[in-house]
Amino acid sequence: MVKNQRKLNKYKIQQMIVQFLPLVALVVLFLVFCAVVQTKGYRLDMYLKIVFNEGIVLAVVATGAIFIYSLGSFDISLGAATLFSATMGVLNYNAFENVPLMIVVIGVSGIGCSLLSSILASIFHIPVFVATVAMMSVLSAVSAQIITSRGGALGGISIPSNVLKSLDVPAFKIVTLAVFFLLCLYVFNFTKIGRREKFIGGNPVCAKLTGINYNKHAIIGFCIAGLSVGLGAFLTLVYTPSVTATTASSLGMNILVAIVFGGMPISGGADSKIFSAIIGGFSYILLDNALELIFDSSSGYGITQIISAVFFLLVVYAASMNYRTKTLPR
Amino acid sequence: MKKKLMKWLNVGLVSVLLVSMLAGCGKKSDEGSETKSDGGKGETVKIGVLVADVSSENAMAFSAYYNDYVAKEYNVEFQFTDALEDAASEKAAIEKFASQGCQGIISMSSSDRALQIETCEEYEVYYAVATGMLDDAQYEEYKSNEFFVGQIGASMTAEYETGLDMAKYFVEKGAKKVAIYGAFIPNPMHVYRTAGVLAGLGCTYGGASDQEGIAGQIFGDQGVDLSKVAGDVEVVAYFQGYGDTTADEFNAASQAAPDAFISVGMGTTFFAQQLNTAEIPFGDIDSFTSSNSEAMKNGKLEYIAAVYGSSIGPVFAVMLDAINGNVIRDEEGNALSINQAYAVATNGDEFDEYFLKDNSDSPIFDKETLDAIVSDTANFEDVKSLVEAH
Amino acid sequence: MRLIKYCQGNLKGTSKAMGNKVIFRKCIGTLAIPVIAGLILGVICLVNGKAMIGNRTSFNNFVIYAAIIMITTIALSINLNSGRFDFSLGAMAILSSGVAAKVTYSVLSGGKYSAALMLGLSLAAGILLGLISGLIYIILRLPPIISSLGVTLIYEGILYTMTGGSYIMGEVQNTSMAKVSGSWIPAFIIIVVVLITMIILFDHTKFGYEYNALKSGQKVAVNTGIREIPNALICYAVCGGLMGIVGFLNTVRNANINGGQLGFGSISIMFTAFLPMFIGSYIGRYSNEKFGYLLAAICMSMLNSTFAVFANTVNASMQSIINAVLLVVFLVYLNNEHLLKKGVKQ
Repeated sequence: MVKNQRKLNKYKIQQMIVQFLPLVALVVLFLVFCAVVQTKGYRLDMYLKIVFNEGIVLAVVATGAIFIYSLGSFDISLGAATLFSATMGVLNYNAFENVPLMIVVIGVSGIGCSLLSSILASIFHIPVFVATVAMMSVLSAVSAQIITSRGGALGGISIPSNVLKSLDVPAFKIVTLAVFFLLCLYVFNFTKIGRREKFIGGNPVCAKLTGINYNKHAIIGFCIAGLSVGLGAFLTLVYTPSVTATTASSLGMNILVAIVFGGMPISGGADSKIFSAIIGGFSYILLDNALELIFDSSSGYGITQIISAVFFLLVVYAASMNYRTKTLPR
Repeated sequence: MKKKLMKWLNVGLVSVLLVSMLAGCGKKSDEGSETKSDGGKGETVKIGVLVADVSSENAMAFSAYYNDYVAKEYNVEFQFTDALEDAASEKAAIEKFASQGCQGIISMSSSDRALQIETCEEYEVYYAVATGMLDDAQYEEYKSNEFFVGQIGASMTAEYETGLDMAKYFVEKGAKKVAIYGAFIPNPMHVYRTAGVLAGLGCTYGGASDQEGIAGQIFGDQGVDLSKVAGDVEVVAYFQGYGDTTADEFNAASQAAPDAFISVGMGTTFFAQQLNTAEIPFGDIDSFTSSNSEAMKNGKLEYIAAVYGSSIGPVFAVMLDAINGNVIRDEEGNALSINQAYAVATNGDEFDEYFLKDNSDSPIFDKETLDAIVSDTANFEDVKSLVEAH
Repeated sequence: MRLIKYCQGNLKGTSKAMGNKVIFRKCIGTLAIPVIAGLILGVICLVNGKAMIGNRTSFNNFVIYAAIIMITTIALSINLNSGRFDFSLGAMAILSSGVAAKVTYSVLSGGKYSAALMLGLSLAAGILLGLISGLIYIILRLPPIISSLGVTLIYEGILYTMTGGSYIMGEVQNTSMAKVSGSWIPAFIIIVVVLITMIILFDHTKFGYEYNALKSGQKVAVNTGIREIPNALICYAVCGGLMGIVGFLNTVRNANINGGQLGFGSISIMFTAFLPMFIGSYIGRYSNEKFGYLLAAICMSMLNSTFAVFANTVNASMQSIINAVLLVVFLVYLNNEHLLKKGVKQ
């Protein structure tokens, strides 16, 4: 009996360690990053601001994306949707010069893009990933067409730099991130929507048999992700008032990496964690920047990527020890 | 399970240690560089370079010139970015350079020039443009900015004229049918070059025959619509970009048996082998490289307009002057804007003038040449005359 | 007795007729999509006074592109059909061809047989890279989509470090490579060899039977004693080898390799294979799946040739949109076929 209790305790401790590993990795990476910046003699305050600016769009969009990932699906078009929303925002501002209207248009565009993906997946039964691959192509091509034909000799489109400059301060961004995160945390952990999404991700058949409507929850999940896309696009414009055809081009894949880095199982389900996005997003950016500083020659970018990938695999491996199965994972 | 966990925690720990050790390595080299002096002339100057293209031969030549020559001859350290893909990455790069103690930024990336200047102003670092100039409206807006040192490179008008001259060369050689490769239109540089090529062929585009008239329509069309081209010289094929259909489009152009193949960029990289095999004379706006030397001497490359590696020497010189306290201004007290024409070669000997003479051991803009403008007393006229003389 | 004989005769006739009908249906089902696609695209070209494949060089390009698409599609489908999504296919193609180009040039300096050596080395490097990718997946036991993300970044980083981010050009621009790009025969031979090898490997060997068993029911197959790990490793090695060939063919077609693709820049190679994979699986219902991929690749190559003909009016953005819309429309049909049929019956 005592032996069993000990085993159970050990297992619990082990589970806890594995659960907190992404957070530990973030803390360690943060400390390493600070150490690297300090030893290099660079300004830590500025560097932290840079890392925050680089990570915030990723963290915001990834937080919304958790609602899709928890269903066991994933969306590769979020970067392209961010570009499209930002493009629509710039076009709208340049036409009406009205910031609130621009924000509404950006939000509606983001939700619209996600809604279209979810309709293709839910109503027309196209595999989610393939639907989002198609959406990625369409959204980036349409945005590129608009940007390059209207951008002319400047190569991009923009709003006047003073329009959102006052918002390009850490306080505004921290509040935005906190409010959005808390909202998502509430919906994900304390409402039916979140619980049902996790249930669907964990066992779709069981969820269906208990009367949970997959389509409805998929659409809700995509809409929340769309909202995060809109917010991400707005924050992109706050940081840089111009949009080029390559804006947010790497965001789609980085979200995938960040979420997994943050300890989220790719299969979704009950182990999905809303804070994976923030932890993973900032960990990834910290790792990237730390390595960039260590290998500070231009030829080091390849090496940086290799080490970053190895570290990513190790952290994900350690964090996924709970999910091992007899057969190979799929 | 416990063993496994411990094993991997160890791996994690080792990784962290490894990263920390590497950080330590970084410290050593950096400390060294900070205390490095140039005959007692003071601390090493740090300059950040924004780069959008890391793959082309031009990009390679530029970084080799700064890293392998200038950094050795002057008390300067260059920090290069990876390929910057958008305005956000440009802004972040400037912020990083500023926090690393860079005193100046030289830009070869053009997603958002205005934002680059504003960011440099915010962090109080000097800013200069080495490739791809600001458009007239932007220059007017920022020319009085105290941190904007200036721009030395090919203006959009120079790009247009380079295309124009290349087309004229082939027309004078008797070309009646040509194929045009528009490279990466709507990249503004390529749009203006293509507009110049059409004008140089004596063609109108949608009825327009002037620089802005043609370029504006190409921007609108996102390429060249052959039905809008009219003139004595027939444009038998036009294509642009690089992707799955390029091989077929090139083939269609080749089958139309043009008297000349005119490329406004990267043509020698993508099609030199095929053009030499098909024996079609071709021209390009590219760089002085060994493969282009081979194509000019033993292949069908007949005309090349290019910048050489050290052509970005003067912009470094004015940046260094600014950092050392001599911010050079033009006659009206504004930031410099000096047009730097492309070097042109139409035969092997002319090619070697630039190719053999300009290398990282003895570049055209060597220390001796640059020293004429690296001084506390150098002025606009000195810089302008030096740039125009080369 | 007479009655029985009569019935037997009738049954024989019926089954023969039935057999012919099945064969006819299969032929129609197999050829319908390529023929219809060819007719539509051909008519579009003709109406505009152009030819889809106007000359021999066009035909060479057509065959080379069909080979690239077919092999990429097979490579994608091998793991995807088993529920293993592999992002690293493109990275394997560029790294294997990059390594092969460098080694070949150092040995032959662009001389005779450069293309043959590069093909061999590219294939070998591809197999090795595939094997490494498979080993990482098996050792770490991570979902393949995650392990392939890491592998993609590692392979891209290696190529970038090797090339300094620049194009590999001089090493692959020689007469030997030009001969391969100037003829349809090498690509055709590659198509035939790959197709036969894949059909034999996946449909007529023990490995193939086990692969299909694992594909249909992983747990049941493992419980019956099928060794999953060696099977998965072979799958990864085969995928790597195929992508090595794709890397070689891409080099032949483009006369360069871009060494500066970081941050998942290589995954676009894989996306081109989605539409042909679904078309191929559909055609495969009526014949062999791998043969279906060949026909789908031919359809894609015809579409590509048509895009090339209208390149001045249909720009790259528009081509992406058309491809995506075709993918969506085809998948909407494929995934709602039963509903459509039900509707038609009613």
